[in-house]
Amino acid sequence: MSEHTTNTALRLRPPAHRVSRRAIGYWTTTGAILWILLIGLQTVIVVTSDDPPSFLRVTLVISCVLCPLHLVVMPQWRYRVHRWEVTDEAVYTQSGWLKQQWRIAPVSRIQTVDIERDPFEQLFGLAKITVTTASAAGPLRITGLTHDRALALADELTKTTQAVRGDAT
Amino acid sequence: MSSTETVMTPPDEGTQDAPWHHLDRRMLLIRPVLDLVKSLPVLLGALLFGRGEPWQWFGLAFTAIAVFTGVSHVLTSRYRITASQVEWHTGLLLRKQRAIPRDRIRTVDVTSEPKHRLFSLAAARIGTGRHSHGKGPGKDELVLDAVTVAEAQRLRTLLLHRKVETVASGSAGSAEEAAAPPEQLIAAVDKRWLRYAPFTLSGLAVVGAAVGTVYHFAHELHFDPIQFSLVQAVVGHFADTPTWLSLVVAAAGLLVLVSVLSVGGYVLSFWNFRLTREPAGTLHIRRGLITTRSVSIEEDRLRGVEIREPLPLRLAGGARCVAIAAGLREGKSADKGGSLLLPPAPLARAHEVVAEVLGADPAATPLVRHPRRALYRRLSRAVLGVLLLAAVLYGLAWLGALPDWPWQAALVLLPFAALVGWDRYRGLGHAFTGRYLVTRSGSLDRGTAAVRCDGMTGVVVERSYFQRRAGLVTVIAPVAAGKGHYRVLDVAEADGLALADRAVPGLLTPFLTGERDRG
Repeated sequence: MSEHTTNTALRLRPPAHRVSRRAIGYWTTTGAILWILLIGLQTVIVVTSDDPPSFLRVTLVISCVLCPLHLVVMPQWRYRVHRWEVTDEAVYTQSGWLKQQWRIAPVSRIQTVDIERDPFEQLFGLAKITVTTASAAGPLRITGLTHDRALALADELTKTTQAVRGDAT
Repeated sequence: MSSTETVMTPPDEGTQDAPWHHLDRRMLLIRPVLDLVKSLPVLLGALLFGRGEPWQWFGLAFTAIAVFTGVSHVLTSRYRITASQVEWHTGLLLRKQRAIPRDRIRTVDVTSEPKHRLFSLAAARIGTGRHSHGKGPGKDELVLDAVTVAEAQRLRTLLLHRKVETVASGSAGSAEEAAAPPEQLIAAVDKRWLRYAPFTLSGLAVVGAAVGTVYHFAHELHFDPIQFSLVQAVVGHFADTPTWLSLVVAAAGLLVLVSVLSVGGYVLSFWNFRLTREPAGTLHIRRGLITTRSVSIEEDRLRGVEIREPLPLRLAGGARCVAIAAGLREGKSADKGGSLLLPPAPLARAHEVVAEVLGADPAATPLVRHPRRALYRRLSRAVLGVLLLAAVLYGLAWLGALPDWPWQAALVLLPFAALVGWDRYRGLGHAFTGRYLVTRSGSLDRGTAAVRCDGMTGVVVERSYFQRRAGLVTVIAPVAAGKGHYRVLDVAEADGLALADRAVPGLLTPFLTGERDRG
């Protein structure tokens, strides 16, 4: 148990590792696809419809301004914000820009370790890891790891998890 | 017939070649009738409207299949308890088998609905500790729909008290069954608690459902309630009186109706409520007037307790008590699930029950108040929420979609919102008692949760942009029970982290930095 003196400036330090730099490209690509769909849809309606609703022009202009801003800022910001660390005892992740979140799960409570790759992640050689515990409060996710790193990490985690067996609830 | 089996509990029960038990055959007298009633709409539809049409036979076939399935379920279902697992086989055409390892069984929940009580039967639900959140009953649950009450009790003792049994193995036999272990009574319902019933507002849901149903049927049958003479008379009567008076009368009538229904609901669901502790370390809850429920919670699986004080109940000085236990179904409302430890009762009684159940009363420890900046956040959130609502309503009124009064009504709500925000701040608090993390929050639905620290499956710290500016964080304790997570809302960053560090020793320590960055 730690000391009872009030620690006035106690803080969580950020986790040690960043995700792969390639994740920036991945986030830009997936973001761009969403924007293309959004802007494309509005353009098609504005151009082809006889009497397009007036607000659609406004939203189209707004979208065209926001799109490049978002695509430049978002991946960089995300890259700075998403961090992770795995020690022998715990998994520690940091995420979120406006609402920041730090999740710490002891290795002894880990139930499953999943690796997922969508087509774009495969293109960039990336993978995301999902670590679940018995609680319904939500899993720990690390996105944008290189595939090799993710495999090694999942391997390591399942090994240490098996070493500390219990029913983990 | 299965009752005779229970009396002379076969000595080989719980071994590899344990005998198979069947569901009680008396269910054959009830089940077909119920199935028939259930498929009555289809049957009536087929007979009345489908005369001579080929699809009339579909209705008949549907009914026949329903009855047949029910009968075959009763006839073919069998179960046995071997040394390591509970096995269950059912079905004639579509055969199903299920086995649950005995060491995974956490709860045995015995329910007697009216259909069971006719022959003093019961349904036994055997549940594992899997935390199934939300929708429907857990898939890994085993339901034995018709066993005698005695058999259900036997199953409960056999499956939950296995530790005791292994000690007294063999010699026990029928003695274990006959000498039902003495229970220690923790709480029983008191007639005087009925005065809290109107404050639960449970009747409101009934009124809502009734109005909805009546409206729906009236609509379906193209029946306009305004045409109905009684309704017309009432409406006509009100047309003469001023609006404010009819509003007052309607509100008073609704209040009385809701109160009466709430008292009725209280009696129905909490009558004969008894919370007892059995020697093997199991909490046992029995309650209900017509449908009786019986829930067992292994104390190993208890992760804590929550005292809930919704605003109306709190104003009346009452509270409910809910168990945070792994493997219990958390339904739409916690009362529906098995986790209720005490129905609405005096607050002091709730604390006594917590003390009895946990051995100490962590919920009564004085809580550390949260910093004043949390008050501004509560206030601004409550007030801004209402302002936003008023703005949207005003916008709609401006567009002509709504009349003016909704946004004006929203503005009237402002002072109440501020009061609620202030009350929410007053409620905020946390404490650490060595074994429990205690956190309180909420105003309209205030809850004080005491979560066992060794039940926490990690720590989550959250900080929104505004919390960051105020130097506050929300510390979330994830547990594999109850709501799934319990929050310590708007606590000063350093205090929250120190709390989490103490609750789960060593977990956060490597990730914390000390006084280094002061100021």
